Amino acid sequence: MVTITNLVKRYGSLVALDHLNLEIEEGEIYGLLGPNGSGKTTAINCMLAILKYDKGNIQIMGREMSPDCYEVKKNIGVVMQNVAVFEQLSVWENVDYFCGLYVKDKKRRHELVEEAIQFVGLEDYRKTRPKKLSGGLLRRLNIACGIAHKPKLLIMDEPTVAVDPQSRNKILEGILELNRQGTTVIYTSHYMEEVEQICTKIAIMDHGRVLAIGTKEELKGMIKTGETITIEAAALNEEQLADLREFPHVFHLTYEEQVLKLRLSGAKHNLVRILHYLEEHNVTFGRVFSELPTLNDVFLEITGKELRD
Amino acid sequence: MTVFKGFLILVKRNLAIFFLYFMIFMSICMMIQASVKEEDINQFQERSLPVAVIDRDGGRLAESLRDYLGEKHQLVEIKDDKKVIQENLFYRNIYYVVTIPQGFERKYVEEGQRLKTTKVPGTVSAYFIDQQIDTFLNDVRILTRAGFSVEEAAAEALRIGKMDTEVSIVDKSGHGGWMAPHAYMFRFLPYLFLGVLCYIIGFVMIAYRKKDVRRRILCSNVSLKVQNAGLVAGFLVVGLGCWLCCMLIPILVYGKGFLTDGNLPYYLLNSFAMMLVALAIAFIVGILVENENVVNGVTNVISLGMCFIGGVFVSISVLSEGVRKAARFLPVYWYETVNGIIGNNAEFTAAQSAAVWRGLGIQILFAAAFLSIGLAISKYKRQE
Repeated sequence: MVTITNLVKRYGSLVALDHLNLEIEEGEIYGLLGPNGSGKTTAINCMLAILKYDKGNIQIMGREMSPDCYEVKKNIGVVMQNVAVFEQLSVWENVDYFCGLYVKDKKRRHELVEEAIQFVGLEDYRKTRPKKLSGGLLRRLNIACGIAHKPKLLIMDEPTVAVDPQSRNKILEGILELNRQGTTVIYTSHYMEEVEQICTKIAIMDHGRVLAIGTKEELKGMIKTGETITIEAAALNEEQLADLREFPHVFHLTYEEQVLKLRLSGAKHNLVRILHYLEEHNVTFGRVFSELPTLNDVFLEITGKELRD
Repeated sequence: MTVFKGFLILVKRNLAIFFLYFMIFMSICMMIQASVKEEDINQFQERSLPVAVIDRDGGRLAESLRDYLGEKHQLVEIKDDKKVIQENLFYRNIYYVVTIPQGFERKYVEEGQRLKTTKVPGTVSAYFIDQQIDTFLNDVRILTRAGFSVEEAAAEALRIGKMDTEVSIVDKSGHGGWMAPHAYMFRFLPYLFLGVLCYIIGFVMIAYRKKDVRRRILCSNVSLKVQNAGLVAGFLVVGLGCWLCCMLIPILVYGKGFLTDGNLPYYLLNSFAMMLVALAIAFIVGILVENENVVNGVTNVISLGMCFIGGVFVSISVLSEGVRKAARFLPVYWYETVNGIIGNNAEFTAAQSAAVWRGLGIQILFAAAFLSIGLAISKYKRQE
C-alpha cells in the first residue's frame, strides 16, 4: 500500500528524516512510535505531499506520491495532529464540507456524513459549533472529517493527544472497526499503550530513523528483557544487592527509595527464586510486581532512554 | 464547488455585520439628506429691519439716502440722543442707526467722508445694510464724477436701488441646480463597501488561511487551481451581491428619479469600480490579519480613515489643500470626484467627461494594484 524508500528531509542543518524506509501492507494498522521530534509528523507530511523532501521516494497504491496525484489522494483520509475544522460551521457542516472535497454526489455524501457522525458518536451534536465541543468531542469531529469519504488508506497523526480516556477508547475502538471494514491505517503516537493495543505492525522511530520494525511480539523478542520485577523492600544491604545481581538471568538491577527493580532475560520461575532469597535473608517486602516487556523497554534498550522522555 | 459553497456558508454566518453597516449607512444618508433639505433653496431671503436715520445735514443726498433706506427697511423716528439710541438698540426697537453729519454732502463728494453707523452687535443683517449704503453712495459718487449734479445723481441712485434683480440658479444637474438626491446616497457608498467587504472577506479568509485547515484541504483531491477558483468565485459573488443590494437602495428610495437619471450608467460604473477597489482591499486585509478580533479594528480604521480623508464624510471642496493632495493617493477621492461631477451635472463638458473617465480608470488601477499587492503578500506568506 505504501512504500517509503531512503526518505531524507532536512530543515537547515537538522536532519528530520534520515534515510527512512517503510513498507506498509494493505489491511495493516501500522504504528509509527517515537518520542516528540522523532520525525513521525514529518514523515506523514511527506507522505501526504504537503511537505517537500530532499531525497528518496514515496509510493502509495503503486504510484509515486506528488502534490497533484489526485487519483491517490482521493483514496486517502487524513486526521491531522491539530484539529482542522471551521469554527463557524456546525459539526454536520464541517463533516459535509470535508467529505464534499472527495464526494460530489449530494445524496451519497449526506449518507456518508451521517454514517461518519454516528461512527464517532456525535449524533447529539450535529448542529453544535466546534468551539462548544469538549476536547474529546472535537477530536472525534476531526476524525469524522477524515473518514467520512471512506478512504482505503487512513493516516492519523496523534489523534488522541489531550483526549479524555473515554473518548480515547472510543477513538481506538473506531480505528479497529475501520480496519475490520478494510481500511489500512497509519497511526502515529508517542503513547506506546495505544500503539500496542491497536497496531498490527510497529516502527519505532527516533531522530528521523527507524530503529526497529515488527509486530509487538517481534519487537519485544528483539530485546534482552524478558521480565521486569519490581519489589518494595525495606533495608537491602550492599551484600544482598550483590547477591541478587549474581542471580541467573538478572542483567540489570536498581534499588532506589526502597524499591528494588530487576530486569531479567526471559526464563521461568525468576520471581519465585528471588522471593525465596528475600525470605531466607529475612528481608521484609511489600508489594511485588512482575511485568512482561513493554515497547518502552524496547525503546529503552535500543536508545538508552525512556520513550516517555 | 465545495470550496465555493463553504465560502458562501461562512459569508452567511457573517451577514449580521452587513445589516449593521447597512443600518449605519442608511442612518447617515437620511441625516445628511434631511439637513440638506432644510437649507434648500430658500437659504437666502432679503429682510426688512427697523432702521433709524439721524439727519444732521438736511441736504439732498441725505434726503435721498433716507428715501433709499425707507424703500428697503422700516424707518423709525428717534431722538438724536446717544442714550435714547442705545436704549432703542438694546431693546431691539431698532437694529441699525445711520448718522448723517452736518456738511456730509460736500465732504462726501469732495473727500469721500464715511458715515457713522451704530448697529446691534453680532447681527449679520446689519452688514447687509452697510453694503446697501455703500452701494448707494458709490453710485452717487460715480455719477457726480461723471458730471451729474448731486441732486441728479442721488435721484438716479434712488431709481437704481428700487430695481429688483431676479436671481435664478442655473440648473446644471437637472435637480433645480442642486445635487441629485441619490448622489448623496452614492457619496457614502464607499463606507458601506469598505466596511462590509473588509469585515466579511476578512473573516472568511482567516477561516480558510488557518494553517491546519489549509493543509487539510491540500491533502484532498481538489487541486490548488480549483480551490483558488472557488475562492475567487466566492469573492466575486460576495462583491456583486453587496453591489446589487446597494443598487437596490436608490431604486427603492428614489424610484423613478434615480432610474430616469441620465447619469445612471455612470453611477453604476463608478460604484462598481469602487466595489472592486473595496474587494481588493478586503483581500489584503484577509491576507494580513491573523486574528478575528483584529479584523473589526482594522476594518474601522480603513473604512473611516479612507472615507474621512477621501471626501465621503467631509466634502472634498471643504478639505484643505494638503489633505486634498494626500487624498489623491486614495481611491475614495477619485470615486467622490466622479460622484461630484455626475451628481451636479446632467450633461458633461469635455473636461468633465475626461475627469469622469479618468476617475473611473484610476479606481480600476487602484483595484488592480491592491490585488497585485495582495497576491504578492499571499505568495510570500505561503513560502514562509
